[in-house]
Amino acid sequence: MINVLIVDDEPLARKELRRVLSKTDDINVIGECSNAIDAVGVINREKPDVVFLDIQMPRVSGIEMLSMLDHEKMPHIVFLTAYDEFAVQAFEQHAFDYLLKPVNQARLDKTLQRLRRDREPQKIDQLPGANQLRQIPCFGQHHVQLVRMEDVEHVASGVSGVYVVSTDGTERPTELPLHILQDRTPLLRCHRQYLVNTDCIEKINFLENGLAEISTKRGQVIPVSRRFFPQIKERLGIL
Amino acid sequence: MQINLVDLSLVLLQQMCVYLVVAYLLSRTKFFIPLTHVTIRPPHKLACYVIFSLFCMMGAILGMPVVHAIANTPAIGAVLGGLLGGPVVGVAVGITGGLYRYSLGGSFALAAALGIVAQGLLGGLMHRHLIRKGKVRTLFDPVKAGALTFVGVVLELLIDLAVARPFGETLEIVLLIAVPELIANTLGAAMFIGILLDRRALIERQSSLFSAKALAIAARADGVLRRGFNQENSMTVARIIYEETGVGAVAITDREKILAFIGIGDDHHLPGTRISSASTLDAIANNEVIYADGNEVAYQCSISPTCPLGASLVIPLVGEDSHVIGTIKLYEPKTKLFSTINRTLGEGIAKLLSSQILAGRYEQQKAMLAQAEIKLLHAQVNPHFLFNALNTIAAVTCDDPEKARDLIGDLSTFFRMNLKRPSQIAPLAEEIEHVNAYLQIELARFSDSLSVDIDIPDSLGRVRLPAFTLQPVVENSIKHGTSQLLRPGHVSIKARQEGEVLVVDVEDNAGLYEPKPTGQGLGMSLVDRRIKNCFGPSYGVTVASERDVFTRITIRVPLEAASK
Repeated sequence: MINVLIVDDEPLARKELRRVLSKTDDINVIGECSNAIDAVGVINREKPDVVFLDIQMPRVSGIEMLSMLDHEKMPHIVFLTAYDEFAVQAFEQHAFDYLLKPVNQARLDKTLQRLRRDREPQKIDQLPGANQLRQIPCFGQHHVQLVRMEDVEHVASGVSGVYVVSTDGTERPTELPLHILQDRTPLLRCHRQYLVNTDCIEKINFLENGLAEISTKRGQVIPVSRRFFPQIKERLGIL
Repeated sequence: MQINLVDLSLVLLQQMCVYLVVAYLLSRTKFFIPLTHVTIRPPHKLACYVIFSLFCMMGAILGMPVVHAIANTPAIGAVLGGLLGGPVVGVAVGITGGLYRYSLGGSFALAAALGIVAQGLLGGLMHRHLIRKGKVRTLFDPVKAGALTFVGVVLELLIDLAVARPFGETLEIVLLIAVPELIANTLGAAMFIGILLDRRALIERQSSLFSAKALAIAARADGVLRRGFNQENSMTVARIIYEETGVGAVAITDREKILAFIGIGDDHHLPGTRISSASTLDAIANNEVIYADGNEVAYQCSISPTCPLGASLVIPLVGEDSHVIGTIKLYEPKTKLFSTINRTLGEGIAKLLSSQILAGRYEQQKAMLAQAEIKLLHAQVNPHFLFNALNTIAAVTCDDPEKARDLIGDLSTFFRMNLKRPSQIAPLAEEIEHVNAYLQIELARFSDSLSVDIDIPDSLGRVRLPAFTLQPVVENSIKHGTSQLLRPGHVSIKARQEGEVLVVDVEDNAGLYEPKPTGQGLGMSLVDRRIKNCFGPSYGVTVASERDVFTRITIRVPLEAASK
């Protein structure tokens, strides 16, 4: 049995895909999402085997959504698009599965056969845009907020999870782990538990024992650990 | 009569001076210009013949009688006439001068007349020789001309000896006049050519100065106004003209206001202010150049009574159909005279700028049309929309074949109406039909998250506007507005009459409009420019937006277009 998640912002498109998939016995559609942000949550929770992912969606495109996932624990992705020359070119180049809408039955059968045979790990990193976060999805009680990179002051990891702290001081929890944020954003790792936006640094205070701390323009103090100090100095051009 | 050599030499030199003064005065007139170049055309040859014949005769008149002969200087006219005009002119001058000399009489008359003809021929032959050798510049060499005249005089003296009788007396006279004539004629010819050379250098310097200025301005101003006839570009051009012409001040205006002013008086002649000068308004109204030199025609600055500017030249800039689009003004202060060069240059500059502005407008229109065509082609085969629509229809087909049929009908209507040319004018009702077909498909695609309401009074359905105006605006609201929402989207389309204007509002509840978003602005500004092109600058598209709340795009067209 292959567990499948459908992500598409058009309800009829989801319905149509569900209909064609339902003709096969070994495909189990575990859910549908109408946007990428919901999908990130569902993928992390339900861990589907395969995601049918539309590219053009509100706020966060299918490809940008990939940057919000841990590439080590990725489901297999089958891209969906009505028409997108550039994306299709990239898919061809890196041998990703994709389906054009309206879906052609024979083409779908081929894709499903491949899914059943072997699902080789996909090199998502190679897809342009899939490795770069422009905004961090933060989950409130009833809504998801996308915090743009320029609004992030720093990110902190604590016992209750990872928090994005905005330049105005607002803290918002995110499901993205620190190492993914470090890899896919310009944020700078200054401590085991902290990432900082270099644009927000006011000054760096040198302490004893080779330690230091960063003061942000807002007056927030962020610790710098000895381990990351050399990298910080290099990145900020301090000799 | 006892005449000694020294006296005779002095007399002939004095003669030569009178002769050269006349030559110099004549050189200030335009009759002289043909002489400064090798003459090829018959009118120039004729001028050459007339002038040198006169000089030849003058040389004969001014001569001083010596016994039966006349010590004189007709050789200059004859030799130079031939040298500069060629053999035919030379002989013609020689014959004319010779006949005249003959008419003066004396025992030397025949010999002297023959001598003059011989001198003309000599000059002409030298002319032909030098032209054939390609040594045109040598024609104007004062030393060579002097030497040739020397030879001419020697020739004349020999002819005197051969022809005039009795020989003894002739020899005596020839010995007496030989040295003075040789000196006077040789020097005179050389200096005559010298005057010619000076004159030519002057003309060339003036015209090269003029060409250099004109070329410098043309090169520096090239293309500036093509980018648009506005304040910024006008300032650039005014500065160039100011620097190149060296006039007191330069201004450029459109029909209403000063676009640029540089130079003396820029403290009170301010760009952006309205034109107050009567002569400028006259120049605009009557399409004529107005020159107030501050002398014959009074000039007084219309803004400040203490303005140091004392003369102005206003030249209209002329666009299509002799319509004046503005003026260019050159000023000189009260302490300085307007140079003729700058006056002529000013008119040339105005022509240059006019054609640049015209070219700019033409290019702009062409680019706009091309853009419209491209946009239209995109719209006709917007593949993303088409395939999504087909996908939606595929999904509907199983459950609701009737609905699927309707959607196919809508899709057909939409594409059929897209095939309209952008230059066509369509009634609002037809635009709404187009939008409706488009919306039916979008509503099906986003059935759970999009709602639309349309409120157009029937009475406004006949108002005409450029075809393909409304649909791109509505598509914009959905593509860049509601479809980017994580909550339900809403679009409302409302039309109303405001005085003599039809106002259509297209409003979405997304509020995601950004003043210059990539790709989005093009469609909107295109619709705007097409309306402005059709109905004038007071109509078009405006945008109001509040972030995350709404974006309202307002289209304004005149109601009266219904009757056209």
